[in-house]
Amino acid sequence: MKFLIDRDAFLEALQQVQHVVSSRTTLPILSNVLIEADGDTLKLTTTDLDVGISGQVKAQIERGGATTLPARKLVMIIRELNSGEVSVDVDSDNVASVRNGPSFFKIIGLDQEEFPPLASFDEAREFVIEQAKLKDALRKTAYAISTDETRYVLNGIYWSFKDNVLTLVATDGRRLAMVEQDVEFPKSNEINVIIPTKAINELQRLLGDEGEVRVRISDSQVSFELNDSILVSKLIEGNYPNFRQVIPGEAKQRITLEREVLFNAVKRVAILTSDKSNSIKLSFKPDMLQISANSPEIGEAHESLHINYKGPVLSIAFNPEFLMAPLRNLAQDEVFLDLIDEMSPGVLKIDEPFIYVLMPMRVTN
Amino acid sequence: MDCFYAAIEIRERPELRGKPVAVGGGHRGVLTTCSYEARKYGCRSAMPTFQALRLCPDLILVPVRFDLYRTESQRIREIFGEFTELVEPLSLDEAYLDVSHLASEGASIAGEIRARIREVTGLTASAGIAANKFLAKVASDWNKPDGQYEVNESGVAAFMRDLPIEKIWGVGKRTAARLHALGARTCGELQRFTRFELDRAFGRFGAELHDLCRGIDRREVQPDRERKSVSNERTYSEDLATVAEGLEKLPELLTELHDDVTRKHADRRLRESVVKLKFADFSTTTAQRASGVIDPALFEDLLREAWPRGGGQPVRLIGTGVRFVSQEESAGVPDQLEMF
Repeated sequence: MKFLIDRDAFLEALQQVQHVVSSRTTLPILSNVLIEADGDTLKLTTTDLDVGISGQVKAQIERGGATTLPARKLVMIIRELNSGEVSVDVDSDNVASVRNGPSFFKIIGLDQEEFPPLASFDEAREFVIEQAKLKDALRKTAYAISTDETRYVLNGIYWSFKDNVLTLVATDGRRLAMVEQDVEFPKSNEINVIIPTKAINELQRLLGDEGEVRVRISDSQVSFELNDSILVSKLIEGNYPNFRQVIPGEAKQRITLEREVLFNAVKRVAILTSDKSNSIKLSFKPDMLQISANSPEIGEAHESLHINYKGPVLSIAFNPEFLMAPLRNLAQDEVFLDLIDEMSPGVLKIDEPFIYVLMPMRVTN
Repeated sequence: MDCFYAAIEIRERPELRGKPVAVGGGHRGVLTTCSYEARKYGCRSAMPTFQALRLCPDLILVPVRFDLYRTESQRIREIFGEFTELVEPLSLDEAYLDVSHLASEGASIAGEIRARIREVTGLTASAGIAANKFLAKVASDWNKPDGQYEVNESGVAAFMRDLPIEKIWGVGKRTAARLHALGARTCGELQRFTRFELDRAFGRFGAELHDLCRGIDRREVQPDRERKSVSNERTYSEDLATVAEGLEKLPELLTELHDDVTRKHADRRLRESVVKLKFADFSTTTAQRASGVIDPALFEDLLREAWPRGGGQPVRLIGTGVRFVSQEESAGVPDQLEMF
């Protein structure tokens, strides 16, 4: 196999697939990127057996073929090269000679026969979604995914296709983010799946503001096709908790808040929280919100905001990071906070189908 | 304990007595322990088998039997319990005992314990007696096997003076090399450096070195770590074939669990609920979920979640349990409420 390729284009294509490369050293082939040269296209593929990703880039191919090369090293080399043309010549022993101006590298690869193929999706449900819509929905939910590996069903986003609506839910048991998007699909396609965090991260990297993404879902796998790239992932098996039951019904108090003003105030006050007392208190009084934090060993902070509030005096404590996460990821100027009492979940809404349920903290003295 | 695993094997097979014996091995493995006879040839723990056989071609290799060693370890811990509750096990065959609250002298208690261990298990043990854990541990090697050594208060300075710095815990090959480069081979030589100098050279560990090389160690003997969980389980006289049968058994287990938690552990906050199943083929599985309360509906969910993992097999045992939030973690910390 031999090809000539523009350094910048090659680097961009490699960077799109490099994050999937396995850190497991037990299977060396998974540290490699599969490079297939055919016609005028290079196809680059990586996998860690759970998630796989494949992308394409144009190249001038002098001799077609396929090999696998160590992905991280290859990216490091191409990144350090000068702009211009890179020549890659791979011999029958999978040894690659990489040239760019005065630079020369010899890299030892592995036979492409050993590279595990990505799953195929012959019998799968298929959905087409606008990339911009999906990108927005993932941004509004992904931060709430649990990182606690003992709760593996929560280590991903729950996707429910039902009644021409795609519902995305992420939760760690303390807060929950949910978005709904209209998507058209036949009744027979209805399904619920959990897509793991790593695939979500890769998908967010691939999604752009234009075009569509084709989603295929089989019994145990999902694939996303977009912009000449394919992302394939295993699904998380297990039952997602019944999240509908934790979404409170009628709120006693609906408070309209300026998103950015609230975010900045919480961020400032949160400086005075600590690992031990990691909570901020929101105290609502007529037309006034006071945000406060105190850590016995550090000090305290207060900040008051003028708001439109006519209800009774009400105080509630939250983990500041959990309150800031949605504020950081939303774009709307106004958010609505629905509260019942200090022990019931707070609900953050916007004027679009989005809901964020946040459990309070019980502060004992 | 002296060559604990090897000593047990020799006790079980008297024909091995007096011969070089090693536990572990296998053609490509390493030795776990070896007898003093084998040590004379240069064999030691963690040495690859082939190397040990080169040093001592007559070495007798016996396979590891952890269950047996665990049983013996338990018997020895029971003996410790006859003397003091303040026992901090380090491994199967080592423990710190705090006997400072007892009337007798440390050395005589050590002698009694060693005699009891020999009487009950037929094995020999060695002991170090000192005012702190560090000194006691170092001293326990002094008259091994089957001996004891006491470092009393007036003897600490002399004991430390010539002690090689490698005997300090946390000093491995690299730290030792750096200390040698500074001209410190013994703790006495290390004492010439100020706390500030050691802190600059070794960071936080430097301050510890400053204390340890003087035989100062303020760590308390920590008896059994705090309880992390409570659970119960039942093996049924007839295997349970269906989830429905399993669900029927839950209330009894949960009532018991609830009583246990509220009576004995009312001060603890719950982190997680767990259901354990053992299937007909004796394989086990657990399902757990975070929860701050004992919620029967949650346990039912967990049972349903775990049941199919047996691939349709009947279930012979059901267990229920809760895990606690550690006391350190829960002290004065705001309590994040959970949804499910």
